[in-house]
Amino acid sequence: MRQALEGSQAIARAVALCRPDVVSAYPITPQTHIVENIAKLVADGELKCEYVSVESEHSAASVALGAAAAGARAYTASASQGILLMCEVLYDIAGLRIPMVLTCANRAVSAPLSIWNDHQDSMAVRDAGWIQIHCADNQEAVDTTIQAFRIAQDTDLPVMVCVDGFTLTHTLEPIELPTQQQVDDFLPPFVFARALDPRKPLSIGTMATPDWFTEARHSHHGAVLAAAEVIAAADADWQRITGRCGGGLLAVDGPDDARIGVVCMGSITGTLQDARAASPELPAARIIRLRSYRPFPAQALREACAGLDQVVVLERALAPGGVGIVGAEVRAALYGTPDAPRVQSVAAGLGGRDMPLTTYARLIALAQAEATTDFAILDVELDKLPEADRYAAAAMAGGQA
Amino acid sequence: MKQYPRGGIAEPGASLDYHTGSWRLQRPVHVHQAAPCHHACPAGEDAQAYLALVEQGRMQAAWESLVTANPLPAITGRVCPHPCESACNRGQYDEAVSIHGIERFLGDEAIRQGWAYPVAPPPADAPVVAVVGAGPAGLSCAWHLLRAGLRVDVFEAESEPGGICATAIPGYRLPPDTVALECGRLMALDGIEFRPGQRLGRDIQLHELRQQYAAVFLGVGAQQARPWSIDGVTPGDLHDGLALLQEWKRVGQIPVPERVAVVGGGNTAVDLCRVFKRAGAKRVMLVTHSGMPGPGVPDPMRALPRELAQAQEEGVEVLTHRGVRRLVLRGEKAVGIETVHMKKLPDAEGRLRRVAFEGTESLLHVDMIVPATGQDVDGRGFEELLKGSAALAIAADGAIGTPGVYAGGDVTGNAGTVTAAVGQGRRAAAAIVRSLQREAGIDWTDAAPVAFAALNTEYYEPMRRHHGAVLPPAEREGELEVEQGFDPAAAQAEAGRCLSCGNCMACDNCYTLCPDTAVLKTRDLAEDGSHYVFDYEYCKGCGLCANECPTGYIQMVVEP
Repeated sequence: MRQALEGSQAIARAVALCRPDVVSAYPITPQTHIVENIAKLVADGELKCEYVSVESEHSAASVALGAAAAGARAYTASASQGILLMCEVLYDIAGLRIPMVLTCANRAVSAPLSIWNDHQDSMAVRDAGWIQIHCADNQEAVDTTIQAFRIAQDTDLPVMVCVDGFTLTHTLEPIELPTQQQVDDFLPPFVFARALDPRKPLSIGTMATPDWFTEARHSHHGAVLAAAEVIAAADADWQRITGRCGGGLLAVDGPDDARIGVVCMGSITGTLQDARAASPELPAARIIRLRSYRPFPAQALREACAGLDQVVVLERALAPGGVGIVGAEVRAALYGTPDAPRVQSVAAGLGGRDMPLTTYARLIALAQAEATTDFAILDVELDKLPEADRYAAAAMAGGQA
Repeated sequence: MKQYPRGGIAEPGASLDYHTGSWRLQRPVHVHQAAPCHHACPAGEDAQAYLALVEQGRMQAAWESLVTANPLPAITGRVCPHPCESACNRGQYDEAVSIHGIERFLGDEAIRQGWAYPVAPPPADAPVVAVVGAGPAGLSCAWHLLRAGLRVDVFEAESEPGGICATAIPGYRLPPDTVALECGRLMALDGIEFRPGQRLGRDIQLHELRQQYAAVFLGVGAQQARPWSIDGVTPGDLHDGLALLQEWKRVGQIPVPERVAVVGGGNTAVDLCRVFKRAGAKRVMLVTHSGMPGPGVPDPMRALPRELAQAQEEGVEVLTHRGVRRLVLRGEKAVGIETVHMKKLPDAEGRLRRVAFEGTESLLHVDMIVPATGQDVDGRGFEELLKGSAALAIAADGAIGTPGVYAGGDVTGNAGTVTAAVGQGRRAAAAIVRSLQREAGIDWTDAAPVAFAALNTEYYEPMRRHHGAVLPPAEREGELEVEQGFDPAAAQAEAGRCLSCGNCMACDNCYTLCPDTAVLKTRDLAEDGSHYVFDYEYCKGCGLCANECPTGYIQMVVEP
């Protein structure tokens, strides 16, 4: 049955449907409503699980790590500074190959302090070794959260489900919550082969000498790459049960004969689709949404870009002094393919800056421009800065909206 | 080829393959040392053991543990100077545990609830021992003999048991009911035969007792007035201090002078001063050679500081460091005394001697002067054992050198307190049991106690000592008991202040902090009475457990 639910509330209900054993969390905007709602479900007796209120995100991740290592289905959620405080534990969870699920309610990272949405936080832990899946809307956030638990236990890897803070977490949407039966059919009980057992003592997290560290990293890297098939399979299975799919590794939308492609992640997708529909005078671009960012779906991306002359990557995070975090990877994936399109990259919507429908026209203009922009910030307003702090080359021409 | 397991999780048991115990140079061991309170108790009470039970609310078990050493806790809890508390390590942390308060509480509860003394009736054919004197020493000796499976006949000159506790200690600090009930319960035990009105040398004879009984214990006390005079002069109406106390106790009244000087520095003197106040004397002065008890005082009075303080609250004047130089008589009757200041000073050989300061004489007008400077042993009936001495000399185990005869309490001249008499009775009982080729079952600790420095006080919280209510001086009339005891909650909370010196209190520090998981926790008590065993296969001997043990129970010893 469809119901109007706030994104956070829907995610909390999705977590509950997965029958977690342990949820540990520390509140942070804009993640708070998610864990608040889970806590309420536990307090109301609707969810039987150990809900652990901790004193920091470091502890939240540590508790989940310990619980999962002991064989519990574990969940936590955070955002921004909380993700950074969890950082060393996130590396541990992944390196120890502990299956669990974390929701990242994507938010900018301080300083300057900002509670609003961009992707800087999940990007900051990009290399921790987690699977990272970005959701376009709250229905997909619900579906992906449930899929994430299965992906985690099928890969022995932790899964970070990224949802745009406020844009998704605090927005009401009509949501189709699956039934408990549907979830139970999809998600088998959690059985962790390496679960800790006091009757069989063992050591985890022991030191790996140079003789072994490379092999440890190799197996981890390989596992994340191999997770691509599991992610696609989970989405396909989910579609068989519910009729909905998130698009597997990446979702492609647009005409087959399009010459311009826009690559993006998260909830901006809907804005771009609406703008394209509302602007018949502009060329209809192929919108390629990376759903799985880790593993990075290079092969699927190459296939999705077939026939394109121009690709513009819309970034939601910044690597200062770099050439665009996602853009660099897209460029690398397409490099050397026959008739490879020109790849340009821009960042937009940093720290919650609004991205109106006109964003689409700016991206089309960029694709049609003669000059190539390796990377720039799309919506910077230079006149807000003192003369000495303006860098025209790093900003899109005509940035002032 | 060895392989890297997923997630770096080592193969099962891998950490157990490293027998880190082979690295060890020192090993931790459990050493149950005597707590200072235990070591200091003249009766050999292990206060720590019963405090632990009180803390758990197991009051009857606590009392049963207590009476394995001392069957008279309601009495000693009131009158003992509690050297246990002076020794208590907690005194160096904040305030000593009120051990006497808990001891008294347990004694009172046992009487109130009628808890049965934990002892089985002896077999009908068990050897019978004669105990002469039903004071603290005799009662203790009888109790411990009974615990060892012997029968006891207790002979007492008075009609009731209790000795000095029944006849002389005033009721405001030791109610007669308490004495009668506690001693009476003991004398009613199956295996003890109480024979009142039997005075040695008058109704019973020592040589007969020696013939008829497997052994004889003499605990007849010391109740004879010590001759007293100043330069050979005594007032015609001289009263002895102890005799006045006995009269007060027996009759309820004594001669009441306007102004009285009591000479002495012990509890008898203080008791008498307070009794005079209660009887209506206007001015009561305590004249003593000694000083007020206090830190650094080299010659404190023997009286309990708290008794002395209460006496002063009640208006007793304490004249310290004074000697009586001269009696002023009108006819036979005292009308004054001349006192002089005195102090202990080192002589040419460095020995402390009492020196009078000439020119410091002063005259006190009094209607009565009462010496309370101690009592002598009344040797009637055992003159042949005294051999002219003032008291019976005993060995540590109570033997006096005459086969089959033992002694304890004031008759030995060195007991001094009720509790010491209980201890001497207990030691003598052990010796008697052993002399009959039986297992004494009475352990006595002489090991050095745990020093305060051996504790890790970081693990204790400061906590105020509990005090029972004390009657305000204005309300202290007649025999009303001045000090009220603990209620169960206060007793339990106070017991919780015990630091458990030298004993395992199951705090889990060693178990939690061992970096090698080499301290294993046992479901039941381990063999050594603790809750833990060391796994020497893996203990590296780092000493962390010993350092973090709050009580000094874990010690590092060189690896054998």
